[in-house]
Amino acid sequence: MNMRKAHEVKVWATLTRGAVLSPQGGGDQNLHVRFWIITMMLVLFGLSTLKLR
Amino acid sequence: MLLELFEWLGKDLRAFNVFSYITLRAVMAAMTALVISFVIGPWMIRKLTSLKIGQSVRDDGPQSHLVKAGTPTMGGALILTAVAVTTILWADLSNRYVWACLVTTVGFGVIGWIDDYRKVVHKNSKGISAKTKFFWQTVIAATALSYLAFRANLPQQTDLIVPFFKTVAIPLGAFGFIVLGWFVVVGFSNAVNLTDGLDGLAIMPTVMVASALAIFAYVAGNKVFATYLGVPHIAGAGELAIFCGAIAGAGLAFLWFNAYPAEVFMGDVGALALGGALGLVAVICRQEIVLIIMGGVFVVETLSVMIQVASFKLTGKRVFRMAPLHHHYELKGWKENQVVVRFWIITMMLVLFGLSTLKLR
Repeated sequence: MNMRKAHEVKVWATLTRGAVLSPQGGGDQNLHVRFWIITMMLVLFGLSTLKLR
Repeated sequence: MLLELFEWLGKDLRAFNVFSYITLRAVMAAMTALVISFVIGPWMIRKLTSLKIGQSVRDDGPQSHLVKAGTPTMGGALILTAVAVTTILWADLSNRYVWACLVTTVGFGVIGWIDDYRKVVHKNSKGISAKTKFFWQTVIAATALSYLAFRANLPQQTDLIVPFFKTVAIPLGAFGFIVLGWFVVVGFSNAVNLTDGLDGLAIMPTVMVASALAIFAYVAGNKVFATYLGVPHIAGAGELAIFCGAIAGAGLAFLWFNAYPAEVFMGDVGALALGGALGLVAVICRQEIVLIIMGGVFVVETLSVMIQVASFKLTGKRVFRMAPLHHHYELKGWKENQVVVRFWIITMMLVLFGLSTLKLR
């Protein structure tokens, strides 16, 4: 496994850790919501550039 | 706290004056609360798990929920910690509205904490009695509202503002303000608690409503915008945008751990506190009716319980397959995720509609 692939696997494992460990399963949904949250954080950061200049 | 520091630094370096703007501090508060929750979150979940503070699931609920038994609860303590620390860091601490909201939120959180603790220790999903909970909620809400009512020096700080009508403001007086405020604060606190039955169902609408209330608070606190939009100008209410920003940030971070399948539940400590906080911010900004619109999901969930109980007592028949409403849809065959995301979508629409009342009047 090359370095890039290993890194991708590591990132994926980190992001899905909660879902995989959860007794309820269902990692997909967990991942979707976490990506939405990241997007919302980025939007918030983007909005702050309106003032921070 | 940081405001004073930046004001002092701003005397020598003008760049620091940017932090005197409420808008920027609200965004910074959201980001700070996010970071605090992300940092403390995993540690707190591990701690709650090791202390065996696991949720006991109601035995008359849907069968599919039995798998949730044992999931750590009282995660609301994480939200409260992040909100309190962030607000103290970024808000103007000489502002009475900030303290009223902070103390009320923590007070409701303490009631919830005791309730959760009893549930966990006694392994009983009922917790403390409804009467006791209601009594203490009333004491805290009435104290905060009385303080606000008797410190109000302009009629618009206690008038009931009717959305869509620019000139309609119903004078309530101090007593009317306290009664209506009590209804909104205690009602919303319990409504959020009732809604908190599926993974992520309560927290995301809370984040959305808090974000919208931040805008209302900012507008109410800014004389130019308030006059232009025809909403009552409440001097000092703008600082509540920072409090709301902290709720939104902490809530989003909590959702990271609470999204289906949840690693942690907020418990009553979170639900009661957040509901009370939303209610009190809306009362201060004179947007009670708009809150009922934006928090329509919470309102409908509560109404579903009331209708179910009333119908069963009067006619012996149930209107819904199960109350609160989210269980009804689950039993109709919707997956948990579908119920949650669809309720989020409805809240988003209601929040947009609520925000439109700023202009449509």
